[in-house]
Amino acid sequence: MKCKKCRGKAVINMRHHNMGLCKDDFLQWIPEQTQKHIEKQKMFTTDEKILVAVSGGKDSLALWDILQILGYQADGLYIALGIDEGISYSAESQRLTSAFANARDLKLHVVNIASDYGTDLPTLAKGTKRGRDKPCSSCGLVKRHEMNRIARDYGYDVLATGHNLDDEAATLFSNTLQWNGDYLIRQHPVLPSRDGLARKVKPLFRFYEKEMAAYALLRGIEYIYDECPFAEGSTSTQYKELLNELENKHPGAKQHFFVKFLSAKKKGLFAEPTEKIVPALHICPVCGQPTSMEGECTFCRMMGVSKS
Amino acid sequence: MKYKTTIVLRDKKYEVKAGSTLLSALKKLEILPESVICVRGGELITEDSILKDGETIKLVSVISGG
Ligand code: SF4
Ligand SMILES: [Zn+2]
Ligand SMILES: [Zn+2]
Repeated sequence: MKCKKCRGKAVINMRHHNMGLCKDDFLQWIPEQTQKHIEKQKMFTTDEKILVAVSGGKDSLALWDILQILGYQADGLYIALGIDEGISYSAESQRLTSAFANARDLKLHVVNIASDYGTDLPTLAKGTKRGRDKPCSSCGLVKRHEMNRIARDYGYDVLATGHNLDDEAATLFSNTLQWNGDYLIRQHPVLPSRDGLARKVKPLFRFYEKEMAAYALLRGIEYIYDECPFAEGSTSTQYKELLNELENKHPGAKQHFFVKFLSAKKKGLFAEPTEKIVPALHICPVCGQPTSMEGECTFCRMMGVSKS
Repeated sequence: MKYKTTIVLRDKKYEVKAGSTLLSALKKLEILPESVICVRGGELITEDSILKDGETIKLVSVISGG
């Protein structure tokens, strides 16, 4: 297959764009497209300070790499969750993230749940009703809380995560299967800041997961290949596989599913978030972060329970 | 099978016929091309590449969960 731009040898075939690209053109195309969508969605400018949530996986490291190429002020945040069930998942992903930052002389904040809160994610999750079998909801809660805390304490304007189109399409699929209205209203590549919550953006939301894996490989980015042990057999992985089956038969289906959802939203096919749907926020007396209910926030309650 | 190519995905190894395309090999192995990237000697290759006798193609799974 030939590169659409230079007729050289293509390294990737993107059927949904009807385009194959060679290594050099692909490595130029990815940052260009990212920049285009950053501007189009008004995510951030070069004057703003960005905090990138890095997990050691391909997407978040690739995002950090791209933002450097594009000349943004982007620092990293790694949250050490203490997930080491058998395969040293957290230790290894932290090592790779630090190596990435050191090699490029980038600033990396590290939050260590064990030293800051005296516990780890698997222990925390066992203490909650929801998390007993799957710690993912506790994990999401801890990550959101700590990302927002670091953004606030260090004065970052915006929080960026490495979610790609497959992540977003899988989430949309899951929320649609359950007609999860309030999640559908909130799902967007840019969430403006409100009441003490930092603005959140997903600059890679237009790229297929395969493109990000190719980008990481071609850029020589060393990332954690093993999955989090708790991700095995997760519904999001199953939905991604389902969507890929569909994509295989109908190239572009995955992209249409998500992108057309966004344009439907823009046309007003979903209600604007109102007070009724997205309740007013209160301030947690312990950590000072916004919470949907009065009194201690879920994070602080969870940390309290695990200590006693 | 006289001419064969080895395909590796995580800790699994498959032997397929050389001379056909990578895409047809993936189809036979029931691996979705959307879910992997294919590497030959450290280089990324497209699915229309013809498999050579005796070579090993490494597949990298692209799906990450969580
Ligand atoms: S799979 Fe679950 S527990 Fe593991 S990192 Fe993702 S959200 Fe956290
Ligand atoms: Zn080219
Ligand atoms: Zn709190």
